[in-house]
Parts: sequence; structure tokens; C-alpha cells
Amino acid sequence: MMNRTIDLDICGQVCPSCLLLTLKELNSNSAAIRAGSFDVMVVTDDRQATATIPATAERMGFCSEVARLDGTYRIRIFGNV
Amino acid sequence: MEQPYLLIVASSLVIGLVAGFVMHRADFCVTASFRDMFLFRDFFLMRQMILLVVASMALFELGRLGGIISIYPFPLLNPPSLANAIGGFVFGIGMVLAGGCVCGSLFKLGAGSFASLLAVIGMIGGATFYAEIHPQWSAFARSTVLVENTITLPQWLALSPSTLLLPLLVLGGFWLSRQFRAGRMVRQSFAAGHLAPWQAALILALLGFASYVLIGMPLGITATYSKIGASIESLFAPVHVQNLAYFSLQPLNYTPPFATQAIQGGPGPQLDAIAAIQYPLILGIICGALVSALSLGEWRPRWRLPQRQLWSALVGGLLLGLAARMAPSCNIWHLWGGVPILALQSLLFVVGLLPGTWVGAQILTRFVIR
Repeated sequence: MMNRTIDLDICGQVCPSCLLLTLKELNSNSAAIRAGSFDVMVVTDDRQATATIPATAERMGFCSEVARLDGTYRIRIFGNV
Repeated sequence: MEQPYLLIVASSLVIGLVAGFVMHRADFCVTASFRDMFLFRDFFLMRQMILLVVASMALFELGRLGGIISIYPFPLLNPPSLANAIGGFVFGIGMVLAGGCVCGSLFKLGAGSFASLLAVIGMIGGATFYAEIHPQWSAFARSTVLVENTITLPQWLALSPSTLLLPLLVLGGFWLSRQFRAGRMVRQSFAAGHLAPWQAALILALLGFASYVLIGMPLGITATYSKIGASIESLFAPVHVQNLAYFSLQPLNYTPPFATQAIQGGPGPQLDAIAAIQYPLILGIICGALVSALSLGEWRPRWRLPQRQLWSALVGGLLLGLAARMAPSCNIWHLWGGVPILALQSLLFVVGLLPGTWVGAQILTRFVIR
């Protein structure tokens, strides 16, 4: 089964939109993300989010990876499968 | 340009450039250090803030004892009043809604944030509006002075500064060393060109010290927001601006280090000592962050934001500008300048700032970011 991705484009938004909106998605779709049905892809220009989101995701038991593309950051959060 | 203005302008500009660059690289946000304690129970950035305060405390006291700092306490500090705490409270709400304090908004503006541009415009509006209520507010501030003719805690207790500061420094140093050993001062970041916040805290403490040594006072910004506002208002209502008592004040009157004559300045539109100190600092912070963002390929203005956030940035900026004049002065003046010398005004500002930040965080999560 193919994963579906929840895209969150949070570029330019007031701090701490990145972490708050990501937490909202993680909490709303926790079981599906853990089961591998969903990934969350956060696109942000908030440099601090590259530290806070992976750390928070890890504390909640998710995996994450960060990539940089065209001056923005893409943070993928997925289940530990 | 004549002495002492050449040294003041050059020092402020260089300090601002380095500060803007460093704050962008480390994403060193004073607002986040307070806000995240309440929103996420995250104390990581507050630990960096404590490092900055302790390092500034050590540098200022060493400078005073070594004779490098001659003006002590520094100018523009007054006896503590209830106005300081109320100003801090309103400031706390404003900085959370604006997404950054007066300094944070400047470096984020330099990095291309449209929300921060709105916040800065709001700050100018708020700081200018303060002139309308200054007679009433200054009367309130005078009537609620807690300790007459006293600036710092050591003065109030009739102790030498070292008697209080040295034990605090030992305790602070011990606590920070434990935090470092436990790995609580470092957090992995994937941002390009990232500077660790603890390194930024030490550099910012050195910049505050450099400002104190060269200019005679630590970093401050917000009087200039009134100046900018008064200059703009003068174009449309010059008589009204001339009649406002606040814009005629000259609260700064001191002889800077390396100078032989006194210089004066105030919040009015004229080019004076306040303008010489703060305009280059503001310009430097914006340009330092701009250079940092451009060199990383991360400078991109983004205009399309949720409407709630645009209003939040503007209203937050208004509150920040107003509160920074009510307090008076902003968080960096108090946190990086006043608290390290235990200025009572600054300690009261922080007492108000904490509940203000909590209220701001409640408003932010219920009405702005949803």
C-alpha cells in the first residue's frame, strides 16, 4: 500500500506556527502515521523548526528526516516501521 | 562627523551587524525563550538566555572592577516603579503575538519576514502613540515609585555590587556547568550554517559589553521607534508633534567614554545622541541578518500569510512599541543590560514579562494559530 502524505507548507508564518501546526497533525493522525499509512511533510523557512520538530517528533516516538531544497527545509515525519 | 559621534555610530553599526548575523545563524529568539516554557514546557532557549545574563553579569562586573566601565549604573535607568512591571506585562503579550521582540523582529525582517515588517510598523505606531498618553502615564509612574533615588538592588541594600554579584555568578556558573555536562545546552539542528545558541549567547554578551565600554551603555533600540514615528507624524501634523511634551524630553544627558563633552538625546524627531546610538544599531541588525540569509540562499520574502497572523503581527507590534515606552525600554535593554547589574527597574520588567508571555501564548494558540 502506498503512503499518503500530509503536506504542511508553513513558510513565512509567525513563530511558532511550525511546531504548533505540526503537533496538531501528529496528534490528529497519530495512529495512522505510526502504522505507516501517512507521512507528514513540513515545508518551512523557520531555521529553528529544523531543531524543534525532529526533537519533538522523536520524543513522541516518530522518525524524521530533514532535507534542504531551494533555501527552505523539508521535514518528513513518519512512523517507526 | 565629529567625536564622540564617529566612535558611537561606527561602534553601533558594527555591533548591530554582528548581532544580526549571529542571531539569524543561531535563530536566537528572546521571545521563544520565554514563550516556549509556557507553550511546550521547553526550557532549552531559556537556559541560553540565563547564560547570556550570567556572562553579561560577569563581563560588566569585571569591567567595573577593572575600571574599563566608568559609567555605573548606565544612563537612562530610573528608580523602580509599578510602571516597569506593567510595561513588562504588556510587552510580554506583544512579543508573543508579534512572533518576536523588538530585536527579534528586526533580524527576522532582515531575513525576509513580512510578518516582522508588519510588527516593526506596529512598533513604530505604538511607540508614537505613547506620546499621547505620556503625561498621564509618567504621573502614574512617578506616583508608584517603590524606592526613591535608587537604581540597583545593591544600592537599595547599601551593599557594594560585588557583594551580591559574585555569589550570583558562582551559583550561575555552577548551574550552567551542570547543564553543559548534562548535554542540556546543545540541541541538534539541521539548519545550514547553524551557530549553536550557547555560542550566540556568549557573542551577544560580548557585544553588550563592547557597547557598554565604547558607548557607555548596553544595547537599546526602542526610543528610536518613537523618533521614526515623530518624524513621520511631523510631515502631517508638525504643530501637534511640537506640542507633545514627550517629544521635547531629553532624558539622555551624559558624557560618553572617550569623550570630553556631554551629549543629549530624546524621543523627538531630531538627530541627536539617541539617533547616533540607535539608528546604526537598528540598521546593523537588519543588514547583518540580511547578509546571513543571502549568503545561505535563504532570503525570500513571503507575503501570503493567514490573515489572522498578519493582524497578530501588527497588533503585537503596536503593543510592543507602546509597552517599550511605558516600561520604559525593551527586553534586550533590561535582560542584557539592566538585569546583569541588578537594576530594580529591569527586575520588575521581568516580573511583568513572565505573566504577559503566558497571556500572549494563550491568545496565540486560541485565536491566531489554529
